[in-house]
Amino acid sequence: MRPPAKKSAMSKTCVGLWLSLLFLSVLGASAGQEASGFPFSWTSFTLKNGLEVVLSDDDTLPLVAVVLAYQAGSLHEQPGKTGLAFLLENMMFMGSLNVGPMQHIGYINRVGGEPNARTTEDISYFCQTVPANHLALVLWLESDRMKALEIDAAKAERARQFLLDEIDQRKTADPYLDSQLAFDRLVYPDFAHGHSVLGRKEDIQRLEVEDVRAFYATYYVPNNAALVVVGNIDISRTRELVEKYFETIPPGRTPPLFLPPRPPEKKQVVQSFKDALAPSPAFHLGFRIAPPFSRDYYVLAILDYLLFKGKSARLYRKLVKKEGFALYVTGGVEKRKDVAVMKLFAMNNNETMVELCQKSIISELNKLRTSDVSAEDLARAKNLFKRDYLSRLASAVERAMFLAEMVFSPIGLDGLADELPKYMRISPFEVRMAVSRYLLPESSVILNINSK
Amino acid sequence: MNKKPWVFIWVFLSVGSVLAQQERFRKSPPIPDPLPQLELPEIESTRLENGLTLAVISRPDQPFITLDLIIRAGESQSPQSLPGLASFTAGMLSRGTPLVSAAELEERIDAIGGDFSTTTTPDFSRFALSFLDGFLDQALEVLSLMVLQPNFSDREVVALKRTQYYDLRQRQRDPEFVGRRQLLRVLFQGHPYRQAFFSEDVFRNLTRKDVQAFYDLHYRPNNALIVLAGKLDLGIAVRRVSHYLNVWPKKQTERPLLPSLQANAEDRFCFVDFPQAKEATLVIGNMINPLAEPDYFPLAVLLQVLGGTPFSRLFMNLREAKEYAYSAFSGLELFQSCGCYTITAAVIPSAAGESIREILRELDRITRDKVSNFELEQAKSYLIGHFPIEIGRLDQLSRRISESLALSLGDAHWGGFNDSIALVDADRIFEVAQKFLIPKPVVVIVGDKGVLLDQLRDLDRLEVYDLKGVLLYTLVKGVEG
Repeated sequence: MRPPAKKSAMSKTCVGLWLSLLFLSVLGASAGQEASGFPFSWTSFTLKNGLEVVLSDDDTLPLVAVVLAYQAGSLHEQPGKTGLAFLLENMMFMGSLNVGPMQHIGYINRVGGEPNARTTEDISYFCQTVPANHLALVLWLESDRMKALEIDAAKAERARQFLLDEIDQRKTADPYLDSQLAFDRLVYPDFAHGHSVLGRKEDIQRLEVEDVRAFYATYYVPNNAALVVVGNIDISRTRELVEKYFETIPPGRTPPLFLPPRPPEKKQVVQSFKDALAPSPAFHLGFRIAPPFSRDYYVLAILDYLLFKGKSARLYRKLVKKEGFALYVTGGVEKRKDVAVMKLFAMNNNETMVELCQKSIISELNKLRTSDVSAEDLARAKNLFKRDYLSRLASAVERAMFLAEMVFSPIGLDGLADELPKYMRISPFEVRMAVSRYLLPESSVILNINSK
Repeated sequence: MNKKPWVFIWVFLSVGSVLAQQERFRKSPPIPDPLPQLELPEIESTRLENGLTLAVISRPDQPFITLDLIIRAGESQSPQSLPGLASFTAGMLSRGTPLVSAAELEERIDAIGGDFSTTTTPDFSRFALSFLDGFLDQALEVLSLMVLQPNFSDREVVALKRTQYYDLRQRQRDPEFVGRRQLLRVLFQGHPYRQAFFSEDVFRNLTRKDVQAFYDLHYRPNNALIVLAGKLDLGIAVRRVSHYLNVWPKKQTERPLLPSLQANAEDRFCFVDFPQAKEATLVIGNMINPLAEPDYFPLAVLLQVLGGTPFSRLFMNLREAKEYAYSAFSGLELFQSCGCYTITAAVIPSAAGESIREILRELDRITRDKVSNFELEQAKSYLIGHFPIEIGRLDQLSRRISESLALSLGDAHWGGFNDSIALVDADRIFEVAQKFLIPKPVVVIVGDKGVLLDQLRDLDRLEVYDLKGVLLYTLVKGVEG
């Protein structure tokens, strides 16, 4: 692993660390931490109100990326209240106590910055990259909407309409979206994991402004959030700014935990889905696999690259190029917080090709179960994995999102230095064992899409 | 009793009390710190013995290396009878050599954590390969196989025809792509650049022989440049690139002078039928010729004022004030011999006609009144602040440099960018508005004709095209002529 990049960056960070330790000794309220063994360094600490803060200095360009991430996603929604997390993501741009509607984007755009937001199953991210001298502006904006978002019925209605339009647009763009949502309900049989971030239209239409207020009050609190600042920053000055804007925001109650996932049933599930809009027959195939960050999960993540990623991916080569059973195939490991699934989607010319395609996949998995993959194939899969892993650190904002996700992951920032090496150490034997344990026809879930 | 006044007083008091309680610094945005100096990475370059230009950007902190190869042969060099040949030839380069199959090339790229793509513009073809640091030799070996020994087998020609046909069909599902293509077809009518805006049928006529002839003519080191960025320096790059590519023979290549272009001056409205489109997509623009450097920067600021962000004139008018549009933005496309401004808006179908009128009104307004100081400073601040974000990733940096070199853009577009923008004033913007925006633009409307044509019947003349761009008929005052 590469050491930290520049001497100047190191010295700045050391000053930051020294100040952190000094601060710790004076207040005794937060912990400072310095990372090592990773391509870049960072400092982390916790404010009195529970907000996790990570700062990382990179003076390559005069930019700073700020990501504020809340543990609030579709997993945290209740039955009948789906779409709330995504709806609230939109409402976060509609004004807070001192910032008018849409002014957040305006302030960022006016200085040449880029605002963005993303909601996943477990985290909502609010991101911005701005010229480095406008760091305080972003902290001011983010703290204002964390402290006092203005939620009213008119804004909730506007966000609701936006969300309904978004669902329509996505369905138009992806004719297989409905089947994908149905497949998710099969492969994740519990409500929390099995429903989409987009939410159900019927639920969204019934959401009340009080639902939005309650979700905000429960999850958009400092003790449920992580603030990451990456870029051309002075660590001690940034820490001062973070404390100024965030430390007086009162913590909320500890957010409730969502229900643990239902364990997968040890039997094959095969169902059909009629979709007149589907352009051709297709199917979804999935296997519940080891939970994220467990030993087998790392193995299956590399197997994902062997089967699906890159131009030389096995299933693409076999099904599309060699045998011609599929017009298109895609797939990979998907994680939803504490549950992971290996998914595959294939489009075929006709029903016969669907059948041949499924048999061919089973035969490929049988091969992986009975013989080791070659060292060459495994090395190729690992390098593709490494490329994508390191790509997630390529810009300041991507790096900040990555760090925010890690704060909330079971390995935490402490485990980060050894994270990539864990994937790189996977052996052919481990791949064979993982396939034997998880990718069995008798535990597969299949949804055949009938396009007629 | 009417409760409303009491509710109002209660809300007023509550908000007032919250405002009074909050810390003073929360009430208004903070004053910015001084901006750290923008230090752009140095670009070192040299020319190898065979005429290949090599530029290197040293970024020792990066885990990747990016390699961009530019061949100065774009679609404008495709023969008039064979549009699409330049992009097809570029696509064929990774389709194997006599000894190494296309599949094996793909495996070699995957093995170095590589990502390979090709792009062809009217002026050049770009081959971008990024890969993990430590695999420079393997990457150059793959590149040399592609560049020096392409096979162009009949089998791969057939396979690529199928792939490019479906790729283009897929892209045609995007109304914005369809609208932009139609606009540029009209603006470049009769010019070699028109070749670049083809539909999927062009691949049918291409043969292995055509590809070989195009390759022989244009794929020469003295007609190419390589940009390498990552953990390396010019010395290493010269040694390694020479090792793999010094046998690439140079040959006299001809770059014919491109004919001059006139901006559109008359009303021209084109409708592209996009069955079942839920929105109307408007693409409006005109030629800027010549686009000399002194005019580029005021024009860039002008287009920023007009439609650079959601807070620019077009968005504020069409979306926020009138509620016609989902989005409305303007931009500038740069070619070797000219430029082209475009305005793109996605609007609700019932407001298509009124949205066109509003856009034309905004174009007219900016030629009549000077932009305000507030708008000017806001636009300049955006462009200067956003510049480093555009080169934040190594692949973005590499692309910017390689395309700048391919278009022979000067230092004003790189090291001098911020100063060039900072010097723009309202007078210069007014001058370029007068110079370039007074000629009437071409207006392209993409949407479902069953829904939209009725509200466009007032137009004196409307050309109606199908999705591929074939003229179906012309409406004169709403009547088929």
